[in-house]
Amino acid sequence: MQVGYETALSPSGKLGVWWFIASEIMVFGCLIGLYVLFRVAHGGWNDQASHVNWRLGAINTLVLVTSSLTMILAFNAVRIERRQRAARFLLVTVLLGFTFLGIKSVEYTHELGEGFTPASGMFWSFYYIMTGLHGFHVLGGIILNLTLYITAVRGTLWSGNKSSRVEFAGLYWHFVDVVWIFLFPLLYLA
Amino acid sequence: MKSNELTAESLDRSSIIIWMWLVGLLGAGMMVFTLPIPRIPTLLLIFGIAGFKATLVLRDYMHLKGEKMLIYAIALTPLLLAIALALVLIPDIVFRR
Repeated sequence: MQVGYETALSPSGKLGVWWFIASEIMVFGCLIGLYVLFRVAHGGWNDQASHVNWRLGAINTLVLVTSSLTMILAFNAVRIERRQRAARFLLVTVLLGFTFLGIKSVEYTHELGEGFTPASGMFWSFYYIMTGLHGFHVLGGIILNLTLYITAVRGTLWSGNKSSRVEFAGLYWHFVDVVWIFLFPLLYLA
Repeated sequence: MKSNELTAESLDRSSIIIWMWLVGLLGAGMMVFTLPIPRIPTLLLIFGIAGFKATLVLRDYMHLKGEKMLIYAIALTPLLLAIALALVLIPDIVFRR
């Protein structure tokens, strides 16, 4: 069986997903650009930035990167029509997404407990806006993947061309991963 | 069925190799962060590594390496616009005191 990218996708659906990702690139691109400009212009953020927990940030990066692997493994399984395997990897992706949000909420709890709120300074404003917006995107991806998992278990995912939705959801999920790959060094290491 | 299994294995193997690269690069980034290196080279290395990681995800997991120019155009246009918007704000944000 020849396995290719063209077998499991509808070009118009894929274009739609890429248009959506393009709008997201504008949102996150502008936020990151503004953060860099403000940080260059107004020094003294290093003290504020030193209070974030980079170890938890690194663990979260590992979690999100691993969830990208399980998402692509789900897509690979869809391409060769291994339905149970695809459903299993979708579920693992969802669980890793929840793990990411769980670790992030532990971080938020600790930081808010120490008195670092969005009003505590420019760094914290950017920190909460960027990680919060990213967190909402992770939540959206979890809901999307959970829906796909349920339809895969029920068997309705495999009718017609619906299985291409796994690729579309994967494109979104990997994009969320790419955003975090830049947010992590910007907010935790720089 | 056997050819399916072989194909599945090769698909999964390349995905796992990319993941290993991503984990290795994450480790390298953390190592650079913890080593006593001057700040500017540290930042250059950390963001260089982040760029490489993002390229791997975009190229292999989002399949950009096999895409047509139209998809590249859709992805690159907003990136260039975001950079342009940031650049035009430099006089207001960086040089305004």
